[in-house]
Amino acid sequence: MSDRMLTMAEAVREAMSIAFDERPEVFLLGEDVGIYGGAFGVSGDMYHRYGAERVLDTPIAELGIVGAAVGAALSGMRPIVEIQFSDFTAQAMDQIANQAAKIHFMLGGALHVPMVLRTPQGSGTGAAAQHSQNLEPWFASVPGLKVVVPSNPADAKGLLLAAIDDPNPVIFLEHKLLYKIPGRDPVPEGSTRIPLGVSKVVREGKDLTIVATGIMVNKSWEVAEKLAAEGISITLIDPRTISPLDMNPVFESVEKTGRLLVVQEGPAQAGFINEVIAQLAGSSSFGSLIAPIKRLAGMNIPIPYAPQLEKAAVPQLDDIEAAAREIVNNWR
Amino acid sequence: MSMTMETGELINFHVAVGDQVKSGDVLFEVMTDKIDMEVEAPADGVIEALVANPGDVVEIGKPVLIMLTETEVMAFDFGSDNEPVAAVEVVAVPAPVAPVIAEAPVVAAPVILNETVKAVPKARVEAANRGIDLRTVRATGPDRTITMQDVNGAQLDPAIAKRQAANKALIAKGIEMTRGIAQASFTRSVNANFDHAQFIAAWAKVLRNRPDLAAHQHVGVALIIESKYGSALPVFRDPDQSSIADLTALVAATTDAAKNGKVPIAMLSGATTTVFDLTSYSMSSATPLLFPNQVTSVTIGYESATTKIVSLTIDLNFCDFYDGALLLDALVASL
Repeated sequence: MSDRMLTMAEAVREAMSIAFDERPEVFLLGEDVGIYGGAFGVSGDMYHRYGAERVLDTPIAELGIVGAAVGAALSGMRPIVEIQFSDFTAQAMDQIANQAAKIHFMLGGALHVPMVLRTPQGSGTGAAAQHSQNLEPWFASVPGLKVVVPSNPADAKGLLLAAIDDPNPVIFLEHKLLYKIPGRDPVPEGSTRIPLGVSKVVREGKDLTIVATGIMVNKSWEVAEKLAAEGISITLIDPRTISPLDMNPVFESVEKTGRLLVVQEGPAQAGFINEVIAQLAGSSSFGSLIAPIKRLAGMNIPIPYAPQLEKAAVPQLDDIEAAAREIVNNWR
Repeated sequence: MSMTMETGELINFHVAVGDQVKSGDVLFEVMTDKIDMEVEAPADGVIEALVANPGDVVEIGKPVLIMLTETEVMAFDFGSDNEPVAAVEVVAVPAPVAPVIAEAPVVAAPVILNETVKAVPKARVEAANRGIDLRTVRATGPDRTITMQDVNGAQLDPAIAKRQAANKALIAKGIEMTRGIAQASFTRSVNANFDHAQFIAAWAKVLRNRPDLAAHQHVGVALIIESKYGSALPVFRDPDQSSIADLTALVAATTDAAKNGKVPIAMLSGATTTVFDLTSYSMSSATPLLFPNQVTSVTIGYESATTKIVSLTIDLNFCDFYDGALLLDALVASL
């Protein structure tokens, strides 16, 4: 295996290290990010390489952690805040939504909050209800926040570098299950940014368009590979940045395929992916549809603890495959 | 009837205007240079007009009688049970290619199938563009929703859809009847340019030497012509015996007519072989269908910009394997 097949954790660490090297005002703070190396091993040896002034271990106090980051950002620093589980952002929501997101506007543009908040989300590790949520819609619905959801290590590196560059607050949602595995592609060397707000067409097809976020991109890719062998060709689009959302590739693709399947991990009701459906339904590409739009999402329940139930609560490979087949075969 | 005959005398009509006739009923008698001949109706229908008078000397190819038929199908009648050996030919009209006035199909009023319409968005756009009333389109999608397939299958003219369906049914019947036939196929690559007229003339010339492979005493080459109405199979009788200029004009005129749904009924019977041209579909070959009562069938397929593939299928009951190979060799050599 090439040594550039980094895991998500390694890719994120590499991006942070590059940012640290490029700019002295970039620093990392969060619970267990320093000496321990991060709850999921993301910061790793950065504490030893950069020291306690750049990698800060904090108390267990999310509201204070994010508040400190907002203050640092307003003072000219570029903090990277790691919140140990995305579920805990609830503790810090006033600082995220009411302070970080709004200060720039409320001060008439006089100051910026160049903060990146990184946090692991998603289910599949048996961490149960309060440690497994997908909260994409919470952040995507707050004007003033950008929200990035990388699906693979190569994207994660370039997107994080761009997020750190961004003069405004960016929420960077990583998936726990992806930390320890490499992606399909090697992680590029160097410090190339991937621009925020640009969707990626991961593969092209002519029978069906799938739009998915996070880990569902990877599951959808596997399904697309399998169905390609049977003559069903699928276009897979990964928005990467969910706010602001780049819908242009989706419009173009639906005009070719006429069928749209959207897949997200979080619960269907009020989920982020509904934004894709709403924009498509109101667009001129609507007239190209030859099938109803199909949505696959999590069940409307807190993530269960029992492993079989945890799996059953979110879309799996079989669900995506069945949905794809059904749309293509029943709607000609 | 001899090939040099140019006129015939109309003796009398056996039908009157308004009569309903069935396929095979005698319509009128013509005095030829050999015998008095009875001319039979080629299809079911009703007599619309008599356009000549008893006692008239009529030129070959001129209409004598006009009938309207409801026959929607422009393909073979598979009902005849001639065997390929020693059948007596029956000529239905006084000239090889007398253009009977094209049929006027009975057009049914469009039926409202859906009181309320559910249709996928693109189907609505398509229907609006093509002037299709979605209430008349049969919905086969889930929840009785009209799909693109439903709209694409819907035609402005229901008679066309009816004809296509009848065509499909007839060809399916033909396929069923040919399933039991022992067949062999041969393929050759041909580096030559030829048009349909040249091809069918060349093939007819090859078959001229094998009267035992035909159910009729003439060589009748059916040429499949696709149109939006379905598949037409007009039969060119003895194409090797016309001048190539005449044949080319006839093929062109017949092709045009077929594409407009108007193959002369006289040309719908008497085939002893069939030619399929697959090159417009960019297909290289198919195992040609043997129609009942035919012993040979040929396809022309696309191989490259300069070469074509010619495939021959034979009915092994009537033509042995070796002969089949020789037939194809002879055809290819003459192209």
